[in-house]
Amino acid sequence: MSIGIIAAGIAVLTGIGAGIGIGIATGHASDAIARQPEASGKINSTLLLGCAMAEGTAIFGFITALIIIFMG
Amino acid sequence: MEGFKEALVDALANKVAFTIPVLGGIPISSSVLVTWIIMAFWIIFTLLATRNLKVSNPGKMQIVLESAVEFLNGFVKDTIGPHWRPFAPYLGSVALYIGLANIISIFGLTPPTKDVSVTAALALMSMLLIYGAQFRYNGLAGGMRRFAQPMPVLTPINLMEIAIRPLALCMRLFGNVLGAFIIMEIIKYIVPAVVPAVFCIYFDLFDGLIQTIVFVFLTALFAGEGIKEEEE
Repeated sequence: MSIGIIAAGIAVLTGIGAGIGIGIATGHASDAIARQPEASGKINSTLLLGCAMAEGTAIFGFITALIIIFMG
Repeated sequence: MEGFKEALVDALANKVAFTIPVLGGIPISSSVLVTWIIMAFWIIFTLLATRNLKVSNPGKMQIVLESAVEFLNGFVKDTIGPHWRPFAPYLGSVALYIGLANIISIFGLTPPTKDVSVTAALALMSMLLIYGAQFRYNGLAGGMRRFAQPMPVLTPINLMEIAIRPLALCMRLFGNVLGAFIIMEIIKYIVPAVVPAVFCIYFDLFDGLIQTIVFVFLTALFAGEGIKEEEE
């Protein structure tokens, strides 16, 4: 069980990538909105899409961790 | 800790709400029951809200409804392009269903999107919509040729996307709702009073609505991607 807990912790580390990715995307999006406030609608929808994609990896890691804890 | 784990496993299991006593008993799981409740709510709401529609001098309710429908139509038109008309009602209904399903834990019911079967069904419907639209508006040969765009080298990746897109849609919605649910259970286990109410605003309301937007937006975007550039 204790090994399983460690494995689940490692699986959840995918969150690091998602966090960095979303951070970079949001930073550049606010940069872009500051330069061109009139394009904010398009920038927002692109940002939302990118964040959803980046967040997907974190969610996969989370589900993997859950499977390790509850099924393993 | 073990007691908490037991409680969590118990909360995660998809419980059978009741059994219909025909044909040796048909089990109805709680996600199906809550889906029926959501359907009943929206049907009654629609019937009540669309009474007394007038062309001149519309009431407050009618103005709210009209601006909501206009917002939906504009969003779908922006994302999908000239063939937007048949997609708007489907995307709107999915958004209403997922939106209410994600925030229904506020009213003390288990969200049906916590059940992976529900999100898998929604993702399968999205997949049918995306690839059905691709073949419907490009023809059989044109739809096949779409897989070889923008370059023939990318064909294997485009074919892999047929399976990956619905899987990602399904797991994204499921994982988010389940994650919010587990975190709320942990918070309730540690501090049973006051504090959960604050976190509930973020995890149940905000996260649920964001995931609704993401699901509908991604479906519309993928569907638009398959049919868009032909008209240029």
